[in-house]
Amino acid sequence: MIEIDHVWKVFQTSARQDHLALSDISLAIEDGAFVSILGPSGCGKSTLLYIVGGFVQPSRGSARMKGKAITGPGPDRGPVFQEFALFPWKSVLGNVMYGPRQQGMKYADAEAQSRALIEMVGLKGFEDFYPKELSGGMKQRVALARTLAYHPEVLLMDEPFGALDAHTRTRLQNDLLNIWERDRKTVLFVTHSVEEAVFLSDKVVMMSRSPGRIRQIVDIDLPRPRRRTELLLDPRYQRYVVDIERLFDDGSEAELER
Amino acid sequence: MILSETLTKRAAPYLACLGLLLVWQCASLGLNNDSFPTAVEAIRAIPSILGDKESLINFAASLRRMAIGFGLAVVISIPLGLMMGRSRAVASFFNPLLMVIYPVPKAALMPIIMLWLGVGDIAKTLVIFLGVSLPVIYHSFEGAKAVEEKMLWSGAAMGLSAPQRLRRIVLPAALPEILTGCRTGLVLALITMITSEMIARQSGAGNILFNALDMGQYDTVFAMIIIIGAMGIGFDALFERMRARLVRWSEQQLDIPLSFS
Repeated sequence: MIEIDHVWKVFQTSARQDHLALSDISLAIEDGAFVSILGPSGCGKSTLLYIVGGFVQPSRGSARMKGKAITGPGPDRGPVFQEFALFPWKSVLGNVMYGPRQQGMKYADAEAQSRALIEMVGLKGFEDFYPKELSGGMKQRVALARTLAYHPEVLLMDEPFGALDAHTRTRLQNDLLNIWERDRKTVLFVTHSVEEAVFLSDKVVMMSRSPGRIRQIVDIDLPRPRRRTELLLDPRYQRYVVDIERLFDDGSEAELER
Repeated sequence: MILSETLTKRAAPYLACLGLLLVWQCASLGLNNDSFPTAVEAIRAIPSILGDKESLINFAASLRRMAIGFGLAVVISIPLGLMMGRSRAVASFFNPLLMVIYPVPKAALMPIIMLWLGVGDIAKTLVIFLGVSLPVIYHSFEGAKAVEEKMLWSGAAMGLSAPQRLRRIVLPAALPEILTGCRTGLVLALITMITSEMIARQSGAGNILFNALDMGQYDTVFAMIIIIGAMGIGFDALFERMRARLVRWSEQQLDIPLSFS
């Protein structure tokens, strides 16, 4: 259980100007839930994720994981970034083994486990490649395997498919769901794509901009396991997508009027 | 076609050297000046220098100082540069100091250093150390600054502490840039080595060169210039080979051969 309790975040952009990125955010995320944070760019959705990761400290309020205040990063919360952030001097295998080795796992065990993970994300045969030799989609698969390798309880995904082309993006969404179905880790998933959020999530947290605040939380009541081709034809799926897009449209008009 | 292309690429630097020697030879014959020996005369003087035990001792002394000065500079400058690149406090403390030292020719500090430390090994090694430090600090600093924040976050999530992140993420990530600095530093080590021996004559390759100049042995002077130049090319080629091996994972690839490796 992750609890975000009246979190505010102010960034100092210049000597005199403050930017209010997050305004009074409260949110509870249950164990095993797939929760998306959806909103336009600049709404502070990534900042919220970084606060849960412990990479950024809130200006006011607090975030807790299992009742304990989050004060910094830890292996119980594994990030996957849009920029991949792989270690370029390590091979695919070296990247995936890095976490388990850091946690003190024996080399042989870490290697066996990492090879299995690399196979699971569909990169068997690429173990000895360096990141520079991989495409964007492959890099993100490595990044996912690298994070899964140290068994975080929560996956923090920061627009992970945002830098990929549409085709690769769809394939990675499908694969992510398949992997997630196996052990149903808690996932916090930041995106600006309505379809992506509805397709993947149990719950969509809609955020609005300046200042970043929660606009509405929508429960996505669609059966699992989800097949993309079936879902696209499902009127309930279409309804969610349209409803959420309408809500955003209303919001932006209201924001413009002010 | 491809074979002949690589052959041309390989042969080009040697052809350039040969061309230079040819121009030298012609210029020298044309000018017919006592203080400007021909290339052939200079090259003929090389074996006698390299065969002389006394001058070999001088070379050994030079190389020892250069190795110690370079080694100490690298060992101290890399961590300093990396810390400056990752901590604003460390950077703002050391930056003004470095800005003052940067434009001063290190040889200009030599008289003062000699006054304090004498004309022996310590003074000369210190000058080499200073000469090498700045480019290595600068490139380590730039390399560390450019390390992606998200890469460090990924490491932090795996449980790496701040000192561990510096050593195990910032250092390897900045390595291509650091080694560029070291390569510049290596050539500067050779230059400061010779200049320090020019100012404080006692032993070393620079000592041979400038004694020969004083005694009007111009073929020896030019032979020494060739030897020192060849040393520079040799060190650089060796270093470049090592560098290419260490950073073969890196994105940057230089197509133009900037060395003889």
